[in-house]
Order: sequence, then C-alpha cells, then structure tokens
Amino acid sequence: MNPATSVTGKTSPGFGLGLRPVHYADFLREPQAVDWLEIISENYMIPGGKPLAMLDAILERYPVAMHGVSLSVGSTEGLDAAYLADLKALANHVQPLWISDHLCWTGVQGRNSHDLLPLPYSEEALRLVVRHVDQVQNTLGQRILLENVSSYLEYRSSEISEWAFLRQVAEQADCLLLLDVNNIYVSGINHGFDPIAFVNHLPVERVQQIHLAGHSDHGDYIVDTHDHPVAEPVWDLYRHACSRFGEVATMIERDDNIPELDRLIAELDRARAIAAGMRGSGVQKTREAVL
Amino acid sequence: MKSPGLAGLQAAFHDHLLGRPSPIAHEVVDGGRIGVDHRLRIYHNAYRVRLLENLRDAYEKTWAYLGDARFETSALAFIADNPSRHRNLRWHGAAFSQWLANRFPQDPDIAELALIDWQLRQAFDGPNATPVQADELAGLSAEDWAGAGFRFTPTLFVTPLRCNSVSIWHALDQEQVPPVAASLPVPTWLLIWRKGWQPHFRTIRAVEHAALMQLHDGASFAGVCAALGEQFSDQEAAGLAAANLRSWLQDELIVELTRPSA
Repeated sequence: MNPATSVTGKTSPGFGLGLRPVHYADFLREPQAVDWLEIISENYMIPGGKPLAMLDAILERYPVAMHGVSLSVGSTEGLDAAYLADLKALANHVQPLWISDHLCWTGVQGRNSHDLLPLPYSEEALRLVVRHVDQVQNTLGQRILLENVSSYLEYRSSEISEWAFLRQVAEQADCLLLLDVNNIYVSGINHGFDPIAFVNHLPVERVQQIHLAGHSDHGDYIVDTHDHPVAEPVWDLYRHACSRFGEVATMIERDDNIPELDRLIAELDRARAIAAGMRGSGVQKTREAVL
Repeated sequence: MKSPGLAGLQAAFHDHLLGRPSPIAHEVVDGGRIGVDHRLRIYHNAYRVRLLENLRDAYEKTWAYLGDARFETSALAFIADNPSRHRNLRWHGAAFSQWLANRFPQDPDIAELALIDWQLRQAFDGPNATPVQADELAGLSAEDWAGAGFRFTPTLFVTPLRCNSVSIWHALDQEQVPPVAASLPVPTWLLIWRKGWQPHFRTIRAVEHAALMQLHDGASFAGVCAALGEQFSDQEAAGLAAANLRSWLQDELIVELTRPSA
C-alpha cells in the first residue's frame, strides 16, 4: 500500500491528540499510543517557565504540530506583525510537522473577541484571505493549514457555499486544509446544509489534517464545545471523510471536561479502526486516481 | 440596504459582541430553526463567558474570596469596560487588580489579593534565569566580593502591602474561612518570584526591602552593608546582611553577580 501524500508530498504521521497540561506527566512517563501531538501555539508563546520546559521534553519524544487561534487571517485590520514574529520564533524552536490556524477573523479596530468568527463567503473576503495567507506563508517560509470553523449564523453577503469558499482559498492561496469534521457537522445542523456535500467538494490533495471533537446539542442548534466524546454522527462523517481523503493525519481535540488520557487514546483507537476499515475498501485507489 | 462591506460588517459584529448598538442583524440570514437574534446572542454570550472564564482562571483566589456572584458581577463589569486588545487572551486580565482597586476603594484587600493572583501567574511562565549558587560567592576574591552587586531573577515582583491579604490567600488556599481584612501594623512588602518551576512568595520588612531596592538600583553588596551600618551596630548590620544574603540564595533570587561602578 502506498502511503498517502498531499500536495506537499508529506506522508501522514498517523493519529494524534491535542496536548493538554493535565496529560504532561502521562506523555513524559512512558511512550503513549499516539503518533504525534498538537499544541495550541499561543500557550507556548510565553517567556519561559514550566510550560516551555514541558514542551521541550515533549519534543524529545513526539512529533508536534502547531495549531493557533489568533492569526485572524480574515480580519480587515490586517495581520499582526508582532504575533507573526512570535509565531515564527516558536516554529523555529518546535520545528513542527506543520502550522495551522482557522479560516476566520477574531477582531477589528485593535480589539479581540478571542472567538473564531465566521467570514462571509464573498469575493471581497476571498481576496483578503488569499492576500493574508500569502503574507503568512512568506513570513513563515512554509504552507499553512487553515481549518473550517463551526458557525451559528450566515451572512446575507455570502455569494458561495462555505465549502466552495474553502476550496477557493486553498487553491488561490496555495495553502493546505485542516478539516474539522465536527465543525462541518455542527455548522451543517445549524445552517441546514448537507455535511456530505461539504466533504465531497473539498480538494483531496490539500487536506493535510483532520480534527475530531465533541459538541453540545441544544436541540435547535449545536455548539462546538470540545467537552464531550466525539458524537456518533461525527464518526459517520469521519468514515465518509476517510473514504474520500484516504490516510490523513487525524487527531481528537478535547478542551473541557478533559478525561484520563487512556479514555482519549481509546477514542483515538476508534478513529484508527475507522480509517483502517476504509483503507481496505478501495478508497486508496480512489485517492491515488484523484491525485 | 447597501452592503457595509467586509470592514463595516466586522466592525458591526464586534460592536454587537461588546453589547453596543449595532446594525449587524441586518447582515444575518434569517432562516432555520433559530432566529437572527438567537444566533447573534450565541456569539455575544460566548464572548462574555470566554473572558469571564479567563478571569476566573487567572484570579482563582480572588474568585474564591468574592464568591461566585460578586466575582461574576465585577468580572462582567470589567469585561464591559475593557474590550480585549490582546492577541493572546492571557493578557486581558492584566488591569483587573487596578480596576478592583477603583471599584472597591474601601476594600484594598480585594485588589491586593487580585494582584497576588496575577503576579503568581506572571512568575509561573516568566523568563528563565539560572540562580547563582552559594559556592560561586564563596569562590570570589576579597576584592571581587567587596565590589560585587546582584541582579535578581526577572520573575521577581516587589509590591507594598496595606492589608493582611497574604493571610487571606493562605486561608483560601487551604479552603478555610479567611480572616477579616485588616491593615498591617508595620510597613510590609510582598516578594513574588519563581523558584524552579513553582511560583513562591513571602513578605519582607523595611530593612530587607531597602537592601533589595539598593541592589536593584545598582549598589554593591558592600554598599548595602555600609548603609546598614549607619542604622545598626556593626555586629547587627553584619548579621542582617548575612541573613538577607542567605535567604536570597536559598530562594534562588540572585541570578547574576554584577560589578557596579560605584
């Protein structure tokens, strides 16, 4: 079987987890059944102390990807040069598998919402994001991954679907995609679109990573809370994503009500089993044919 | 209605998050199982809850001291007064202690407790520095020793205290009923710094504070000893200087030997 490759030519590093401080000791005590870890970049953009010491110890044992929440690539106020410099310095230290952030904006006029706010899927937003991604990639000297966010509203000024927008950003900016399968499901319920259609319209060769996470069901809508195990419909959608994208680095995000590491690894094993099941279903040939 | 463009849309959306009048509802698609107002409210609530959670995390003892309701009222008022201007959420609460001092001028213990919370957090992930060991001092020649000064760890905070906020902090830390707030009878300062990977704190009195400040301002240790000699007998001055130096070394406060010009 040929390893899956993306537009970067990189093979998938396998199955990972988001690194959270409560699990530092578990990861450092003995090798754990995870292939790589994802850090929240901003948590380590600090002067010193225990978090950076823990990170250095982790780096000796596991490959690490960097995932940011503050790039604000879709903000009309432009990119923050100081933030980018700090991000680059961290990347030079970590030498990550890759660097990702979100296709969103977080603030304007010098103010920050600390939320991943949706963009209108318009030509104006597309031009802005493509220009900003180009600046980021030139600064960092590498392609970045952009993640689809969960959303709770849609704008009248959107001209195309979210998945078409995501595809155009990736192709015009020549960046990669971090597909959050839970976010697709959450937004699909909140906006009434078909998550399968979302998955089916993304460029296979640009999907470098997949996020899985849990959410909170409020009946009329769903909130992306990362405080529950991955929900059954999200596993179903992941199965479909595997059938389309083949072997893509997959990880589980858990940010609240964080359980024992063993439980997260058991959840990750389910992702492995689903991916392995789809591997035997001829998906790899489909992917190779696409590529 | 004419489209406000992306910049106008983002400004309107952010105004909505801050609870300010905003035309953003006109920009949102009305459809599906929940209405536009509900959709916008999800974002408005999420903004406030996220910043509130961040303050609870950074000001854990202050939260315990004020109780859930009083802390939440104060924190939400602070959030309303202080839109975040930082990329990293950790900095949003930097001014909370000063804000509490203005909000509760008759209760300086509240702001002091908040300052302890904040400085402990800053010390936790502040810059690294390697402490000077006692044997490095022992190895100095008499001439070098006479002219040596000290640089202190970059995670060191020195703050004047008005109240028994340290006693309050300890009681809260042990989940006991805190003592009634009271003024301190003598001038006292709080030292907060990181030793190893853990933040530490202790209180000091005027003599040690004066010595620390002189060294911080560039004096030599011999100069500090001379200043002590003007207040105390030679024997007392030598004893005080030695005791201070011993505790600074044990606390890993000194990170560099310097050569002050004066």
